[in-house]
Amino acid sequence: MATTHKLLQFKQPAKSYDVVIIGGGLHGLATAYYLARYHQVKRIAVLERRYIGYGGSGRNTEMVRSNKRAHETLPFYKESLAMWDGLSAELEWNLMVQKKGIIALAHSDPELAAMRMLSDSQRRAGIKIDMLSPDEIKKMVPSLDTSDRPALPIVGAQYHPEGGTVHHDAALWGYAKACGRLGVDICVGVEVTGIRIGEGRATGVDTNAGPIAAGKVHAAVGGYSSEIGRMIGMKFPVQTIPMQVMTTEVMKPFLDYYVASPRLHFYTQQTLKGDLILGGPLDAFQSWNSYTTWEESADRAFKIVEYFPDLAHVRVVRSWSGLCDCTGDSAPVMGGCGIDGLSLDIAWGYYGFKSTPASGKYSAEYIATDRMPEKIKPFALERFYNRQPVREIIL
Amino acid sequence: MAFLINCPNCGRRNPYEFTFGGECKHAPGQGADMKAWCEYLFFYENMPGFQDEWWYHAMGCGEWIKIRRNIATHEIVEV
Repeated sequence: MATTHKLLQFKQPAKSYDVVIIGGGLHGLATAYYLARYHQVKRIAVLERRYIGYGGSGRNTEMVRSNKRAHETLPFYKESLAMWDGLSAELEWNLMVQKKGIIALAHSDPELAAMRMLSDSQRRAGIKIDMLSPDEIKKMVPSLDTSDRPALPIVGAQYHPEGGTVHHDAALWGYAKACGRLGVDICVGVEVTGIRIGEGRATGVDTNAGPIAAGKVHAAVGGYSSEIGRMIGMKFPVQTIPMQVMTTEVMKPFLDYYVASPRLHFYTQQTLKGDLILGGPLDAFQSWNSYTTWEESADRAFKIVEYFPDLAHVRVVRSWSGLCDCTGDSAPVMGGCGIDGLSLDIAWGYYGFKSTPASGKYSAEYIATDRMPEKIKPFALERFYNRQPVREIIL
Repeated sequence: MAFLINCPNCGRRNPYEFTFGGECKHAPGQGADMKAWCEYLFFYENMPGFQDEWWYHAMGCGEWIKIRRNIATHEIVEV
């Protein structure tokens, strides 16, 4: 039922704020929420040049999980995954958190061995992980072809029961609404054109709605992070690469789990509505263009039909792509960048959605206290200058 | 496909035949400090405009070619 009162009132930006957050996506809104709620920062603005959730926040495949290997980053992802649980109650908004479990398929013995190694690292960090045999997989996902027919048959799988999905638009509006209640100004259509720096300190931003003074500036701009770098005369260790996603028509429920294949780079889930979301690898080349191509769609379709032969004549209804800013070590960049009062929350590649609550929480902590929280220390920008990238093997 | 690459050996070909080699970066010379080397290794211009970049024609002539492409619009001006 449609409600008669507005969920959220967008504002015109005022002349000055304590904290200005660039980017009205999930990370930006989450940071604003934790700043206002837990750090009692009064005057916060979130500036978004298009509409909230235009970028990666509305273009991801809604998967939440804790699937990394590097021991220094696992506690962060584990906490983020756990934070989704209480979030619906906290934000007073149903985020449709559905921890249905993720099955990651292995197609060869060496891959299975690597997966066991990965599982051991994750178990040591306290994440629940089980290994499955093809028979067990078949019981859980009867529509999956576990026979020898595919060119790369399924020989086992890793099962991550705490992983699942969260509705990304619900999460976005949950945070936005909570921000609105806490008095955060969410300004859409306000494009930041420059960052003002005086005496080595960020003092505000220039926008198409005039200059805005700010005690602190926080950049949570997703795939567009290098533009922020150019405003302050820096390069960032990222390449922007699109990822394409497509969804099928609505079907009756048949797939209870999120099924992924790390080796073949495809993953699929059936949403609560009944359509399948088909995700895949990053595109093969760098681009700032949100296009979709026949080759990538055909590749996804081929892989899905290879393992779900019953889906052969299901129609695809939509496809889209989103921009991912990827670092070489598959870890984000958080914290400072050498300029006082300017903090970053960028380079999330295609693991940004699942990290939303924890990244918002720790970005807010960093902004409020000027101290780098322990859990995001491995994500500091200095790691690239110290030649100590995160030792991550998962892309 | 998003665009075509005019390979000097093979003609206009689908970009998925190629392996993307990233933007052309210039290695700092001998005696450069470690910061310059780290920037060379890890950092990118990543500019939504024209950039020089390397492509390897894996499913064609097997040559590395250098093209100038607008990464926001995919317009290629020079091969």
